[in-house]
Amino acid sequence: MSPLPARPDRDGDQQLRLLDDAWEKAVPHWQDDVARQFGTHQWTPLRDESRLYLEALRAMMDLLDAAERDTEQ
Amino acid sequence: MAAIHADIDALTEFRAALTRFRYAQREVADRGGDTIEATRASLEAKASRWRARLEQGRAELAACHERAAAAADAPVDCSGYARAVSEAGERLEHIRCWQQRIDQQVIEFHGAASRFKDLLETDLPRAEEQLAAIIASLHAARRVQPPGS
Repeated sequence: MSPLPARPDRDGDQQLRLLDDAWEKAVPHWQDDVARQFGTHQWTPLRDESRLYLEALRAMMDLLDAAERDTEQ
Repeated sequence: MAAIHADIDALTEFRAALTRFRYAQREVADRGGDTIEATRASLEAKASRWRARLEQGRAELAACHERAAAAADAPVDCSGYARAVSEAGERLEHIRCWQQRIDQQVIEFHGAASRFKDLLETDLPRAEEQLAAIIASLHAARRVQPPGS
């Protein structure tokens, strides 16, 4: 029996964690005004918008799973 | 002049991570869309099966009622057909409710998905370009640094 494919929202969460880790690793080596501006205007909106999307995707996938289960013949 | 405290390797690694993220999340978004369409198709197939059963059940019930009318002195039990029609109707309605819930959720999801697509197609490449420019300026600054500084 082939394994069930991973849900896209879970893969998306994992990718965001990896990017978050990469940012946390970069920050100690990048401490100037440009870094602060990048953090405020690029990184924070990117991370927040990604979180919002992945939460919406998770809710969507939960609903689709429930619909499939609840309508099994 | 503003002080520069940046490590080229750290920024290069972070930029590479941003690029990987962009490609990976594009695939995530595509798979999300595919899953929505697959589930919609699956529900429609189930609804279609129950619609066919409902039509068949109604035809069988009508035929049973005709037999019952034709044989007035011999009772004909049509309750099994009636139950089958009722069950098919309920199952079909149940699937329709799920289809409506999903349609509603897809409308709400579309807003977040659209913003995220813009982020992947526009904002993220812009951030990567900005980092590339910063890295290039750091390389340039390193090249003009006086020896021993």
